[in-house]
Parts: sequence; structure tokens; C-alpha cells
Amino acid sequence: MDEELKTAKNCRHYAMCKIDFLGSGVCDSGLEKHFVSFYPQGRMILYEALAENKVTVTEKCLEIADSCNLCGKCDYQCYFLNEMRPTKVMEALKNHVETFIKNGGKIKSTGDDIILTEIKRIVGVDWATNDEAITITYSHDLSAISDPKMPDYVVMPNTKEEIASLVKLFNKNKITYTIRGNGQNLLGFAVNEGAIIDLNRMKTIEFDEKNWLVKVGPGVAAFDLQKQAQKRGFRINAAEPAALVCANIMCSGIMSTFSTTYGINADNFIDAEFVDKNGSFFSLNDISSPNLYSYKNLQHKNSPGICVSANIRLHPFTDDESGILVPFQTLDSALAFIKNCSIRHIGLALGIVGAEYISTFLSPTKKSASEIKNVFINKLGIPYLVVVIGDKFAIRSIGEMGFPFFDQRLFRALYLGLPSLKSAKWLDLIKELSDDEPYSYLRIKSFADLLETALSPSPDLYSQEIDPDLKPFFEKLFSRDEMTDLVWLNMYRIMSTRLGRKKPFLPVLIYLPIDNGLIEELNDKFRLIAEKYQIDNDFGFITPIDNGKRCIFEYDYFYDYNDPDEIRRIRQAGTEANTLVDEYSVKTGTVKGHPYVLYQGFCRKENLLYS
Amino acid sequence: MFCTRDSAEKRTCFIHRFKPVILSVKNKPTITLTGATGFLGSHLMASLLSGGHRIIVLGRSNKNGTLQERVSRLLKWFGIEEFAGQLKFMEIDFLKPLLGIPEADYKVLCADTEQIIHCASDTSFTERKRDIVFKSNVNSLEGILEFAVNANVKFFHYISTAYVAGANVILCKECLSSSADFLNVYEESKALAENIIAAFCQKNSIPFSIIRPSVVYGDSRTGRSLRFNALYFPIQSVKYISEIYLNDIKNNDGKKSKQFGIFIDEEGYLFLPLRIYLPEEGALNIIPVDYFVNATIMIIANASPGGIYHLTNNSYTKLEAIAVYNEHFMKIRGVEIIYGKSADNVLRNPAEELFDRFMTPYRPYLSDNRIFDRANTDLLTGNMNPPEFSYKIFEKCMEYAIRVNWGESIF
Ligand code: SF4
Repeated sequence: MDEELKTAKNCRHYAMCKIDFLGSGVCDSGLEKHFVSFYPQGRMILYEALAENKVTVTEKCLEIADSCNLCGKCDYQCYFLNEMRPTKVMEALKNHVETFIKNGGKIKSTGDDIILTEIKRIVGVDWATNDEAITITYSHDLSAISDPKMPDYVVMPNTKEEIASLVKLFNKNKITYTIRGNGQNLLGFAVNEGAIIDLNRMKTIEFDEKNWLVKVGPGVAAFDLQKQAQKRGFRINAAEPAALVCANIMCSGIMSTFSTTYGINADNFIDAEFVDKNGSFFSLNDISSPNLYSYKNLQHKNSPGICVSANIRLHPFTDDESGILVPFQTLDSALAFIKNCSIRHIGLALGIVGAEYISTFLSPTKKSASEIKNVFINKLGIPYLVVVIGDKFAIRSIGEMGFPFFDQRLFRALYLGLPSLKSAKWLDLIKELSDDEPYSYLRIKSFADLLETALSPSPDLYSQEIDPDLKPFFEKLFSRDEMTDLVWLNMYRIMSTRLGRKKPFLPVLIYLPIDNGLIEELNDKFRLIAEKYQIDNDFGFITPIDNGKRCIFEYDYFYDYNDPDEIRRIRQAGTEANTLVDEYSVKTGTVKGHPYVLYQGFCRKENLLYS
Repeated sequence: MFCTRDSAEKRTCFIHRFKPVILSVKNKPTITLTGATGFLGSHLMASLLSGGHRIIVLGRSNKNGTLQERVSRLLKWFGIEEFAGQLKFMEIDFLKPLLGIPEADYKVLCADTEQIIHCASDTSFTERKRDIVFKSNVNSLEGILEFAVNANVKFFHYISTAYVAGANVILCKECLSSSADFLNVYEESKALAENIIAAFCQKNSIPFSIIRPSVVYGDSRTGRSLRFNALYFPIQSVKYISEIYLNDIKNNDGKKSKQFGIFIDEEGYLFLPLRIYLPEEGALNIIPVDYFVNATIMIIANASPGGIYHLTNNSYTKLEAIAVYNEHFMKIRGVEIIYGKSADNVLRNPAEELFDRFMTPYRPYLSDNRIFDRANTDLLTGNMNPPEFSYKIFEKCMEYAIRVNWGESIF
């Protein structure tokens, strides 16, 4: 397999190329044409399909290949997250089309059928198609576990009225339709036959500052909304950066480390507007609207309709906020800490992360991540870290509670000094120091000075391992304060997709009490399931919610989605893990599996957690 | 030779000076050894094997391999693989009945064992590990002592430490300790273990000896060692700290170093201001492992029942001497030893603060004033004394330590 095809086949489909998370710009053609096919992600899928003869060169294919100007922006973005270089795939795509034409290949033109004509009458001729160069790019979503499905049409409406008309049209003609945001669903719910309604054109953002809300269209991504909110002095509780806000609430509800204080599910919005199954409108605040605040466990609910806007809550922030990392030797002690902080309302955002998470987030490459994981566990003796975002009073309280921590300055030194950390001999001594009192070296008054001297952190050093032609860009990128600012990183979560760099992952997500025994038991059982199916696995994160009464726990299974055997095994492992969660759900009455929240993301958290 | 309490609750030793019984070369008893994978135990094992003893090694597998694998690596390190045939291995658990092995195996073990050398020990000073240290050094005794009775051993030798005398004792006698005040949990557990062993052996008429080395470093002739704590740790700390600043000077124009008055002087020495605060004047009592082995072999061959033996150095080593050695060896200046003052209110540079943290557990041993009575030892070892810690020995030991990356790349 050539390198281009290999890269294309390894696209993670995170849709990160659709947001400007590095400040380096987004693919111009994507911004203009909106179909995913005109973004690097879509071109990767298209190239793979062409190379494997799943589709042929079509009119849209020509347009897609032509509209790439090989600017290289997607290389920055994709390398940052996955260490991949998509530009060469874009070049290969252009070459493929060029060769096809040179060899006298016939460009396939798909005529409009009656339905498509009708659809185009509703949304305009540019915003609906049945061209397979477009439809193929909607046959995938983030999940590799679900089988790809080729839709007949892809439609991009721009208003709720257009959506309502589309629903009526599809109902009348008995055409199944599926709503798609950025294809971030992990369970294959964003792919289907029939019509795909892509909401990415509907990017309206209207602030109502007096009422602490922002009304967002269904095409607005979390990253873009956070950016706008921050500009105006607010913060939102943001999900994964490329996830569309409305779709995220709809599917599972927004959760992040800020959920410790901002909450989950219905805590995050004030109202939302829908187009129902018949093509009529309703708002959550309408007295006659269906009760989407309710929650039912162990049952997949049908979608209540299409969310066409949501009024998202705005939160204030203060200028003394900062982030710290509190190290722990055991999960037990980390759990006790987050529970205590949560009950006492210390910290705005809290989350336990494992060494896999932290080393992957911090490292510029896969190789570096595995080396750093080893340093964290074996040299620094840090298998677990608690990330805390808080104001100066919160951070002071944690100091007074007696926990040594990495403050913002130490974090920056660790982060930008990672290459030196790997070879730092003096870490052997640090470990000895921890024998008596764990992490007592963090109490050394001038430890930051020493760490900076020892690691010589700098954007230049950090970018050492990056491909030489990309190094100048990354050096500049890491000179920006926000890239090493724990508050910014937690608000925008741009690192989270790095978790799939080594291999794509399937998260097992559950809600449960912060009961150390129960969590350790489940943690062990998730691990044993993965080991049984020879699946790479690791502890993911835990975030306390609702004053420490419950938490969100993620355990991750990693798999190669180009390996059919691994896909078979991950399916088995995933099913077994879900069965285990069901068992615990019944046994404890307190454990709730995240998959059941699908289409119930608007529910009250109390209904989800306690009923 | 047993100790009894006098009215002042102090121990007085009644030392019956027996004429040593020299065992015939042909009459080498089979020795069951614990702690054979540790620093002292492995050296004893090597010497005993070379001396013609058959050894039964008791121990456990760990993440580095099975007991046999670990011992085999050690034999290779000592260059005595040809003696492997004299060894037998038993994976046991001291805390389980019959040492956790099948009754038939236990019976064979009892029948084969003539003497026991109990060398296994947890040497951690950390209060946080109190439970683990006591489990290893005290709780495990029941199993091994019961085994000693069942095996009807001719002698039970216990490798202890010279520091069981306690924190405030100046003259440390070769008798059991009654101190209640110890510098750390290790000393405390070893003192208690000695008392338990003595009481048990007396009650069951098992002849026993207690051998108490002070701080043991590598081989004075070759510099080789398997363990790099105690004496090595301060040197390793200075080396690593100096490397941090040398790197800064080399790669960052010494930006950080300058702030703290750290520079390379005209003679190419790194000037690293490092004030080491010690509570009082004193010195280190260190012995090389070759002396430990030779003296121990002589003691176990000729020990008097109930005998306690200090393997200590009459020639104490001042920290200043080590600082001078190190200055020469590493080309580092600026180390200053300050006695009697606390560092609490002193503004210290990062290197000093870090070094101070590294030194905390070892500090009491760096300026120790305890004097060790060696009458029993001298009698059995013919006044054999450990060598004075010279620069030559220091150099050999540190060169070896660096060569094996302070133990990281021994095997
Ligand atoms: S290289 Fe092509 S696909 Fe990549 S960002 Fe530029 S225009 Fe878009």
C-alpha cells in the first residue's frame, strides 16, 4: 500500500480540519463549499474510495480535486493531532484525477432524480447532491465499529424552515433521513442510507448577554463558540472542539472537566428549538412541548426531532484563574482528592487523568508519548494526575490542604522541556525523594528555577522531533501563551483528539458515585475484558459532577480500524463492557452507561443520575 | 554470652570469650541463606560458594525474574558461575505456614540445613513504609525461626546493623539494644528483630550470632558494588545537580547558573555553591563490602553462641574529606560543610535546596558520633580492620558507579 493510501485510510474523522484550532486557517474550499468532501477529511475518504475503486471520477470529484490549492494548512493541523501529513494525499487525489482524464476516462455525471430536484428546490441547487464523490464522504463517521453506509443524497439546509420542508418531503416519499453534525458520533448513528442532512451551513451565533445566553445554530462547533464567548468575556461548557454544540447536546449532553461546576445535560442550556418528525416546530419552553427533560435508562429512545438552535448558558470567569496538576500515586488517593474538592466547591474544573492521557496530550509525537508515559510512571512516580482549574483562592486552598502540585510555570517547563525530561538522569534522585513524602520535590521553593535550568524548556526544544519542514510553524505555535496555558487547554480541549493518535479509541463512558471500591473494580474489569480480546486499553479520565455525588468515568479501548480482526475483537470487547455496565447498573442502581443517553442529552441530570 | 538488665535498665554484656573453634575445611556446613539477591547477601553467597559451602537460597520471584534467574545473574556478575552446582533454590513465603512450600519439600529443607544466615531485610528508612518494613524485618521472623527449630540448626546467624543502639547512645556495645529512640524505622525494626531472635534462640537452645555492619560501600580493591545508596547517594546527587548547571552553561550561556553564582572557574572547575548543614560535627562510619564478607565468614566459622559483632571502622571518615575527594574527582568546587546551624532561615540556591532534600534521610549518618565497641569482632577476626577510606578507594568506587550508571546498567 502506498503511503498516500495508508495516510488516507488512517484519517481519524475527527473533523478537526473544519475548525481553526491552531490559528493557521482552515481549508478555504471547505469554508466556501461546506460539504465535508471539500475539507481535508472528505478528500481523504474520497481518495481512499478512488484508490480502491469504490467510486469513479465524477463531476464533483473534479471540483473537489481542483479546489485544493495544496496550501498545506491541513498538514499543520493533522500533524499536530495525529502526526499525519494529508497534503500528499491531496496531491495524490489531484494526480489520480489528472491521470484518469489523460487516459481518456469518462467523467461520471449523475443526473438529478425527482427527489433531488425537489430537495434542490428547497435548499438551492448548490446545496444538495447525489454525486458519489460527495455521498461517499458521508458514508463514514467517527466510529469504525459501525459499517459504512452510502447515502443517496446529501443536503445542506440553511434555515429551520428549509429543514421543516425537507422533513415533510422525506416523510411524503418515505425516505429515511439522518442528521449529521460533524460526524462525531461514536456509535455509527451519523451514517445511513437515504438522505443525510448536514447542518454545517447553519452557523449563527447570537449573544444575549443580559440573559447570560448565546443562541447557536446547529452548525456551530464548540471551539468556535468558545472563541466567540471568550472574546466577550464569557465561557461556555464545551465538548470536543469539533463537535457541533446542538448535536452534542442532542446525542449525549455536554460534558467536560468544567462539568464539575457547570454541570451536564440540561444544566448547559436554557432553551432549544426543534423541528419534529412531522416538520413542525417546537421549543423546550413551550408548555405543550414533549418532555425532553426526562430520562429513561436501558432503552434507546428515538430522536425527538432535529435541534435547530439552542440557547447555551454563558458563565463568567475571573482574571486570576489558573491551572494546576496534582500528582497521585494511586487512583484511590486521586479519587479521595477530587471528591473532597468537589464537595467543598474547590476548583471550577476537575479531572483525574492517567499517565497515558497526559503523556499523549503533551507529546508532539507518538514515540515521544510512549517515552514520556514511562517517565511519568517510572521516574516521576505519577500514574495519575488531577487537573484543577480554579481562581487564586481555589489554588491556595489546595496548597493549604497539603497537596504539592505542578503550577502553571512548572507545567510549562515540563511541557516545553519534554525532550530533556526523557533523558534527565536527575529524575532517578527525584524518585528517591518521593519515598518519604510523595512529590516532596515540588515543595522545594526554587524547584521551578531548577526545572527550567534542567529542562531548558522552549518552543524550539519542544519542536525538535517534529518534521523539519513543519518545525518553524510549530516553534511559532508553541511560543503562544495559550498553547501551554492549562485554562485555555481545558476550555478548548484541542489536545483531546491526540488520544487517538496511536490508534483510534472506543471510550467506555459511565456515570457512577465516587465510590473508590466500585471504580477500582470496574477499572479492573474493563482492563480484563480488553486483555481477553487483546485490545490495547487504559484508564481514561474521571470528572466529579454534582458536588461530588457522582462522576463521569471513561475507560479507553484502542484498536486499529484497518485491521478486520481487531475490529472484530473491539466489537466483542465493547459489547462485553456494555453488558458489564448493564449488570452493574442493575446491581447498584447507581451506575449509568453513557450509550443510553443517546438522544436524551436534553434530560435533567437529576433524572439521569438519580432516577 | 547473653545480656541481662541491670537496675538502671541499661544492658550489661557478659562476654564469655571462647576460644574459636575452627571448622575443618572438609567439614563445610550446608547453609541456608536468605537475602541472597541483596547487596550483602549476594556477596556472602559468593564467598561461601567459593569457600566450598553448599547453599540453599530462600527467596521469592519478583518483576526482575525468578529467584534462580536473579541469583544466576549475580553469579555471572561475580564471575563464579562454575559454583552454581553448589546452590539449591527454594521459593518461599516467610509469612505462610511451612514457609509456603509443600510439607515434603519443607522436610527436605529442614533435613538439609545445618546453619542459617538470615540476611533478608527491607532497608528503607521511610516512615511511610513502616508497615512494609516491619512486615519484612519483624513479622517474617516467626517463619524463619520456626524453621530454625524444625531444622534443628547448629547455628543461626543474623545480619543486622550497627545502628540498633539507638539515636542518643554514644558508646554502642556489642549487646542487645534497649533503646526506644531510633533515627528511623529501619533501625527500630532491626533492634526489635535482634531481641526477638535472641529470646527465641535462647528459649529453644539454638546457638545464634548477630553481625552488625555499619554503612557498607563497594569493594575497596575493585570499586565494584551492587548497591549505590548511602555513601554514593550524595555523590550521585552532586554529580546530577552539576550536570544540570553544566548543561545550562554549555547550551544556554549559563543564564540560570549566573543568577546563582554558578560558573566554571579558570582551572575548569565548576563552582557550585553548595552549603551542607549538619547538626553537629561528626563523621561517617563506612566499611567496604570485602571487609564485611571476610569478617562475616570468620565470625560464622567461629562464632560464640549469643555473640554480637560490630563490623565497623575505627577510622571514621569526615564529610569534609569526601568533599575534597569529590572536588578532585568531579572538578567541582564550592561545597561547604556547616555544623551546628539550621538551614531553615538561610536563603539557599535551588541546587542547595535540592541537595538538602536528597540528603535528609542520610543526614544523621553523615555526622555521626557513635563509637562502636568491637571487642567480640576483634577477637574473632584477629583484629582485622577495614581500610581507611582513601581517595584511591573513593575514586575506584565512584568510577565503577558511573560506569554502571549508579546500578542502572549492572546486568
Ligand atoms: S492542502 Fe488542500 S485540503 Fe489541505 S487545507 Fe490546503 S486546500 Fe485544503
